[in-house]
Amino acid sequence: MALFVLPFILVRLGRTGEFWIWVTTEMIIMALFSMSLNLILGFGGMVSFGHAAFFGAGAYTVALLMKKAGVPMALALLAAPVVAAICAAVIGWFCVRLIGLYFAILTLAFSQLLYMIVFQWYTFTGGDDGIHGIPRPDWLTPEYYYLLCLVIFLFCFLLMRMIVNSSFGLTIRTIRENMERAKFIGINVRRYQWLNFIIAGSFAGVAGGLLTLLNRFAQTEFLHWSRSADPILASLVGGMYSFVGPAIGAAALIFLKIFSQQLHKGLVEVWAIILGLILLAVVLFAPSGLVGLYQRLFEKSKS
Amino acid sequence: MARPNLEAHILTPGRGKDTMTIEISVFMMINGLAQGMLLFIIASGLTLVFGVLRVINFAHGSFYMIGAYLAFSLSTLLTGGSLSSFLTLMLVAPPAIAVIGFFLEISLFRKVYREEHLVQLLLTYALVLILDDLVRVIWGGDPRNVMRPALLAGSVDIMGMQLPTYNVFILAVGPIVAVGLWYLLHRTRAGNLMRAAVTYPDTLGSLGVNVSWVMTSTFMLGCWLAGLGGVLMAHLASVDLGIGMEKIIECFAVVVIGGLGSVVGALLGSLIIGVGITMLQLPFGRWALVFPYFVMALVLVIRPWGLFGKPER
Repeated sequence: MALFVLPFILVRLGRTGEFWIWVTTEMIIMALFSMSLNLILGFGGMVSFGHAAFFGAGAYTVALLMKKAGVPMALALLAAPVVAAICAAVIGWFCVRLIGLYFAILTLAFSQLLYMIVFQWYTFTGGDDGIHGIPRPDWLTPEYYYLLCLVIFLFCFLLMRMIVNSSFGLTIRTIRENMERAKFIGINVRRYQWLNFIIAGSFAGVAGGLLTLLNRFAQTEFLHWSRSADPILASLVGGMYSFVGPAIGAAALIFLKIFSQQLHKGLVEVWAIILGLILLAVVLFAPSGLVGLYQRLFEKSKS
Repeated sequence: MARPNLEAHILTPGRGKDTMTIEISVFMMINGLAQGMLLFIIASGLTLVFGVLRVINFAHGSFYMIGAYLAFSLSTLLTGGSLSSFLTLMLVAPPAIAVIGFFLEISLFRKVYREEHLVQLLLTYALVLILDDLVRVIWGGDPRNVMRPALLAGSVDIMGMQLPTYNVFILAVGPIVAVGLWYLLHRTRAGNLMRAAVTYPDTLGSLGVNVSWVMTSTFMLGCWLAGLGGVLMAHLASVDLGIGMEKIIECFAVVVIGGLGSVVGALLGSLIIGVGITMLQLPFGRWALVFPYFVMALVLVIRPWGLFGKPER
């Protein structure tokens, strides 16, 4: 509830308020992106290093439709997950044939393939200049856009929770826990993983489309493999075996970045180093992330 | 941000009035082979480390980049462009990278050998973030150039074609490294231990061999190769912040094509990628850079364990 009122408080703060609205909108979008990845990472147990492909597919769908075809925003935003799902269906069809490390590398290969295509195709995608100046309706002020993102996020959130708790979600978790056994009890493992991959891809597409509208540009960086690592980091920091963990992780990381920027300008210069150190610490000492840490502390105080 | 380094691949054919297509093709072929050899030197390190440690090291590209920047710094300290400084670089920079590798191996990598792949990948990715940013802080974002020694700066006349001497030089270094690695792996005790550590690490340990030391040495060898590649590359094209990220993905392509852990496979994969990118520039221009990812995806779909690899247990 507080999240709904937040922008109207912030907008009274003038410029800094506007900045924070922008930041929180980005948090929401990245939270959605991270949660979409976690459908395959945490729940499916498939390490994908190419999730940016679908994020970028959504981003470029919105950018191209609105800039070049003049499609209204609502339609473009609806098209983003569809296009992303199609990409995920094609890429996933190949990828689910592999497991473990090979799956990770193949997703990486495909996302880089897509990245290079977008990068080289100047006439269509603008190459490394990206697509700028995407029109946004006038009534859509930052605080309304924030609300729009929030509503979409909540909708996706509920949808994803429904998926995770459905029998489909349980099957996916069964496959994660024991693939051999899942095969023995007659589950078509590949098809479930493929469907899961498509679902995760389409939610990533929504996130990509939203970020494009927030920035009013789409660029190749959205598709680069280092972008695929962002939701993995968020999931890891937040805790990837919990449903909300990735969202918390994404928000925490963005907040930390902005906070360090406010604290000292020089800190954001070395942000990647800080991020790397955080990641090292999490990998080595707290593999279950913030949520795991919280649970551990909470359980300790209870007993 | 990381961008593909185009200059490293686009090479200008020799000037001449009667540049025939065949001549250009041969010219491109040789340059492509040189690119491939450079790629092999780097990728062989990655594949060796994977073979013994079972860790895919994202940071390998960063080691390569540090090697290149180190070459730049050392060449400004020494008299850049002289043969002696070039030789000093070749002797000093790669071992320096190996030393960095040594400390990282004993402090970090050793802790995650028994963990799942995701943890290992993320550990090395964390290193990429840290190392790449450190490089930016230390050396800044401007592209750097290192002068070639006079002996290797000009061009040589081979079959009526003017080939850059340096490319021919790399073309010679590649096979030397390949033969050296083969000799090391198959004809020395250290190599025997490494190969044993690939297949039967536990048995090797119970025979009284210090397996973690074998792993550390392999890792250092891998880093040394990355550093060597960096030094060689620094003299070939300009060094900038994107080269690490770009090269590690190319190395992935190579290693995947050849088969994870196979040195022979890495050689073949490197040549396919190097020649492929260069030759395809004639008909496709810049689109040729899509080639490695295409081949990588293709091999993974058809034969996931690579041309020379073995199916995963």
